[in-house]
Amino acid sequence: MVTESAAAKRRTSTIIAMVLLVVLLALISLGVGPVRMSPLTVLKTLFGGGGNDVYRVIVQEIRLPRTILAVAIGAILGLSGAALQGLLRNPLASPSLFGAPQAAAFGAVLVIALGLADVRSYVLPGAAIIMAFLSVFALLVVAGRNAGLLILILAGLAISSLAGSATALAMNLSSNPFVALEIAFWLLGSLEDRSFRHVMLALPFITIGAIILMSQRNALRALSLGEETAQSLGVHVGSLRLIVILGVAFGVGGAVAVTGTIGFIGLIAPHLMRPLVGYDPARLLVPSALAGAALLLAADIAVRIIPSTSDIKVGVLTSLIGVPFFLYLIMRERRALGGGVG
Amino acid sequence: MPRRGALREGLSHALVGIVAAMSVVAIAPARAAELPRIASINACTDQLLLALADPEQILGLGPYARDTTRSWGAAVAHRYPRLSGEAEDVLVLKPDVVVAGSFTKRATRELLKEHGQNVVTFDVAHSLDEVKAQIRKMGEVTQHPDRAETYISHIDTALARTRQFVAKKHYRVLSVSRRGWVSGSRSLMSSLLAEIGLTNAAGELGLKFGGFASLEAIIKLQPDFIVVSNDSDFAEDEGRAFLLHPALEHFYPPSKRLIVPERLTVCGGPMVADALDRIVSEITRAEREAGTAAPTY
Repeated sequence: MVTESAAAKRRTSTIIAMVLLVVLLALISLGVGPVRMSPLTVLKTLFGGGGNDVYRVIVQEIRLPRTILAVAIGAILGLSGAALQGLLRNPLASPSLFGAPQAAAFGAVLVIALGLADVRSYVLPGAAIIMAFLSVFALLVVAGRNAGLLILILAGLAISSLAGSATALAMNLSSNPFVALEIAFWLLGSLEDRSFRHVMLALPFITIGAIILMSQRNALRALSLGEETAQSLGVHVGSLRLIVILGVAFGVGGAVAVTGTIGFIGLIAPHLMRPLVGYDPARLLVPSALAGAALLLAADIAVRIIPSTSDIKVGVLTSLIGVPFFLYLIMRERRALGGGVG
Repeated sequence: MPRRGALREGLSHALVGIVAAMSVVAIAPARAAELPRIASINACTDQLLLALADPEQILGLGPYARDTTRSWGAAVAHRYPRLSGEAEDVLVLKPDVVVAGSFTKRATRELLKEHGQNVVTFDVAHSLDEVKAQIRKMGEVTQHPDRAETYISHIDTALARTRQFVAKKHYRVLSVSRRGWVSGSRSLMSSLLAEIGLTNAAGELGLKFGGFASLEAIIKLQPDFIVVSNDSDFAEDEGRAFLLHPALEHFYPPSKRLIVPERLTVCGGPMVADALDRIVSEITRAEREAGTAAPTY
């Protein structure tokens, strides 16, 4: 019992520390941008004070939606990663490795390329969510119930390649001559110059996704004891799988529709939190969400601070950090992977 | 048929003039036979060619000539073969002259030259003087220098008319396109603005040929007006959504936006006369809507 309460205390203090970190990073995120402002001016204008209309609009209409999106999208990516790793009992699982963001991007690109709807309408997240759902569902169908690492990763690679090719084809078939450039930029993932319309577009779906994933935390914990044990505890593994996929699709689809693909946050966040809060997937969900929010905020601050002639895309930065991390994970899991082949 | 409507609205008096001129010339095919036959593989040379050549002289136009939003000659472009912009179909046509832009793929131009084609390259026009020079150059290529001079005098007339109108207002203007692309101080747009006494605020951003400006920077700059290419509320992609961002709309409602269609400003050619008139008529409208004539700072 002593160790149990010590672990709980450690988890609580981790969550408090992460919340503070997210708040701090959010404030920094509001403070950085092409127009220099003192932190005091930023705080004043944020809470309605300050007479200067220009500063007020910059903070409230340009920076605040960006910060809100970074927190929400980082959190849902972290949460999705933790839930998928729990579901598949596999530390390499994450939405981006399995092609979900790429598939969601294809859904959104199809809408943009065909000129079907305004990019600020709900058609975009709708299409993205449907494609994300289809991709993760297809992955689980192809890979089977108890797929090993290798099969999952190979199937995921195939699905993300398919989504990538379909996206390129949609670009070519478009009648809008700027569409190729627009989509190329958009695929890199960016939070730049988003507005509250974008927040309203993404937030409902991200919230739904988060609620769905959080509701399954006890089932995920039971699953960590093995599929048979989970079933004996009353968990229906088949429906758990579908529900988690649905949650990930809602979250990732809503996020991708607004920012394009931002990868690897879902992979990294749970790994950062595991040493602090333990391996119980249920207890990992909230800390992973906070870590995801902190990671995306930090990356989005970095792209604004790093000097460059044109803006660096935040999705590029997360991949630059994420891929070496992924390689490191593969190195660590080498034995398990080798076993899969043998 | 909204497209057809916009197209008709966009047709200028000058263009109607060309069509008339073309039909007159068409009666004299004997003369046309001696003139060079020309193919164009660039959107801007397409438009110069349409303006200056006889219909019989035009063997084909580039792939974007029929684009109603960006091509000034779109209304008549469909009468001519649509070329791919690559070397193949040009070689089949065996034109006397191929006109291309300096940004047309180098490989295509080199290939055409290697096969003995007479390729004449047109640079991007950065100023009104360069536009006039290009009209003259195309006049020589088509062997219609008289037409070139007529167009140039149209531009000068438009200049005199517009200068008289805005010279004393000293507005600071910023031309903003999708994704926050700003026309720099060494761009055709900047030259047009300067000719009629307006200041291109892009100079204050340090943008010479043009570049992307952040939403924050544009708002901080506070130009009196922004020049945009259309007033639709439909964001077909994120680049277009930039111009409809609530922060930009807060400071630049329709009464602060000068709508100058792309087909008047993308290329240098006879259409710049219309562009000048359009800027003036837009300032008049904006002033009327805002209810004030003088800038506040």
